[in-house]
Amino acid sequence: MLKYVVKRILQLIPIILAVSVLVFIMVRIAPSDPIASMTKGKQISIETRHSLEQQYHLDKTEPEQYFIWITNTLKGDFGDSFQHKQSVISLVAERLPTTLQLVLMSSLLAIFIAIPIGIISAVKMNSVVDRVLSMLTLVFVSSPVFLTGIVLMLLFALKIRVFPSFGTGNSFTENIYYLALPSIALSMNMVALISRITRSNMIEQLNANYATTAVAKGTPYWKVVLKHCLKNAIIPVITVTSIQVGSMIVGAVLVENVFALGGLGALLIEGIKSADYPVVQGITLMLVVMFLLINLIVDVTYALIDPRIRL
Amino acid sequence: MMKFKGNFLHRPMFRIRKQQGTLFTVPFMLSSLILVLIIGCCILAPSISPYSPTAQDLANSLSQPSSGHLLGTDKVGRDLLTRLFYGGRTTLLGALGVVAFSVMLGVPFGLFAGYYGGKIDAAIGRVCDVVLSFPSLLLAFIFVAGFGRGMNNAIVALGIVYVPMLTRLVRSLTLVEKNKTYVEAAQSIGYSDFRIMFRHILPNCVSTITVQITLDMAYAILDLAALSFLGLGVQPPTADWGAMLDEGRNFLLQTPLLALAPGGAIVVTVVVLNIMSDSIHQYLEPIQRKLPSFEKQERKLQKEGVS
Repeated sequence: MLKYVVKRILQLIPIILAVSVLVFIMVRIAPSDPIASMTKGKQISIETRHSLEQQYHLDKTEPEQYFIWITNTLKGDFGDSFQHKQSVISLVAERLPTTLQLVLMSSLLAIFIAIPIGIISAVKMNSVVDRVLSMLTLVFVSSPVFLTGIVLMLLFALKIRVFPSFGTGNSFTENIYYLALPSIALSMNMVALISRITRSNMIEQLNANYATTAVAKGTPYWKVVLKHCLKNAIIPVITVTSIQVGSMIVGAVLVENVFALGGLGALLIEGIKSADYPVVQGITLMLVVMFLLINLIVDVTYALIDPRIRL
Repeated sequence: MMKFKGNFLHRPMFRIRKQQGTLFTVPFMLSSLILVLIIGCCILAPSISPYSPTAQDLANSLSQPSSGHLLGTDKVGRDLLTRLFYGGRTTLLGALGVVAFSVMLGVPFGLFAGYYGGKIDAAIGRVCDVVLSFPSLLLAFIFVAGFGRGMNNAIVALGIVYVPMLTRLVRSLTLVEKNKTYVEAAQSIGYSDFRIMFRHILPNCVSTITVQITLDMAYAILDLAALSFLGLGVQPPTADWGAMLDEGRNFLLQTPLLALAPGGAIVVTVVVLNIMSDSIHQYLEPIQRKLPSFEKQERKLQKEGVS
C-alpha cells in the first residue's frame, strides 16, 4: 500500500514541474506590461523602472527568473504581488477560506441531493417521476453556473429578500447564510451530473443477475437497492464527484464573480487582466496541486477498497 | 475490403440498422428542429431583424418589450432580440471553432498513439496528463492570459483544453480496431500506415467520435460563455450570449430579460445538443438503450413463474 502511494506521488512530481513551466511561459508571453500593473499606469522615470525590474528580478533572463521562482516556491515563498505589494501567500490566505467554504458547502449539498435523486429515478425508471427528474437535471447540467447564480439572485435576493445578494460575513457560521445562494448555484451543475451518473449506474446494477437473485431469494426490495446495488454503483459516482470537486474550485470563480464574494477566483482573474505574474503563477500552481491531490486521494481510497488496483 | 464508395449515406454511421431501432426518435427530431431553428435565426439575422446589433439609440435605452422591440432594448438602446441573433452567431461559430480545433489535433494524435503505441503513445500520453492535470477552465484562463484576451484566443485556448479528451477516446478506439482482421489485411496488401489510419480505422471510429463532438459543442458553448462572462473572451461591443449576460446582470431588477434572454438561449441550445448526443449514443450502443425496469422485470418473472 505504502509503495503504491509513494509511486503515485513520484509520478506527480514531473507533472507538477511541467505545469509550472507551462504556467511560467504562458504568463510571460502575454503582451501586457507588468511594470504598468505595479505603477497602476502612472508615468515613471527609466531609473524607477530599472529599480522595479531589479526588485522583481524582471531584468534577468527567463530561465533565471524561472529558477528563482521555482526555488522560492519550493521553500514556500510565492513572491510578492506586483499590484497589491503584498506576498501572494498572505493574499491567498485572506481569500482562501471563502472559496473553500463555498466549495465544501456546495459539494455536501450536491451529494446529499444528487444521490437520492439518482436512486429514485433508477428505481422508478421511465416513470413520470424519472422523466421529470431527468428533464430537470438536464436543464441544470446545461445551465451555466453564472446563469443559475443570476437567476437565484433575482428570485431570492432581489424579488423575495430572503438572502443577501452579495458579500460575505465575518465568521464561518455567518458565512453559511451569506454563502447559501452561491453554494446552491454552484452545486446545481454537480447535482445534475452526479444524479445522472448515479441513475445510469444504479440501473446497470439493478439489472444485474445478482440483484435478480437477491429478490428471488426473498430479500426486501429496498434492501436490494440500498445495500446491494448502491454499494456497487457508488464507485464511479465517487470518481465523478471528486473530479467535479476539483473543477468546482474553478466554477467558484464564476459564482464569486456573480455574488461579488472576493474569493480566490476574483484574485486570479484580476491578476490575469493586469499581468500580475506572481499572483497568477502562484494561484494556478496551488489550484493544480490541490486538484491533483484530490485525485490522488480518491485513487488511494480505491486502492484501499479494491486490492486489484494496487498492482 | 470495406470501401464506402457511392452514396454518402451508406457509410456505417448513417446506415440505419433495423434491428437496432431508429436514431430518429421524437426527442431527437424535436431537438434537431429546435437547433435548426436557432441556427437559421442566427444565419438569417440581417434579413429577419430591421435593427443593427451595434447601432445605439440612447433615447430608447432599457425599454420594456414592445411591438417595436420584441424583447426590449439594452442600456444603450440596442434591440435585444437582434443582439441575441447576432450573439448566437458569435457563440455558435466560436463553439464550432473550439470543436474543429480540438478535432484537428485530437484525432490524429489519438490515431498515432493508438496505432504506433510505444514511445509515441507514451509521449502523447504525458502531454495529455499535463493538460488534464488542470481543471479545464483554469487552463483556458492561463492560455488566455498568455495569448491575450479576445474571441479568437479564447477559441484556441479552449480548443487546446479539449484535445486530450478526444485523443484518449480516439486512442482507445484505435487500440480496439487495429487488432481486427481488416487492418491486418490492409497491412498485408501494403497500404501505408497513414492510409490505414485515416482511410480504414478512422471511418470505423467516426460514430463514437460524433457523440463526443456533439457533447463537446455543448461544453464549448458553456465554457466560451464563461470566458466571455469574465471578460476574457469576446470584447464589447460584439454581441455574444456570455458577454450579453454579463452586461445584462447589472439591470436585473429593471429589465431582467437583458440577462435572462441570452441565458435562456444558452440553456436551450445546450439542452438540445445534450439530447442529440444522448440519442446518438443510445442508438449506437444497444446496451445503453432503454431496458425494461427492474420492477417490470420482476413482474415479468412473477408472471412467468405463475403461468
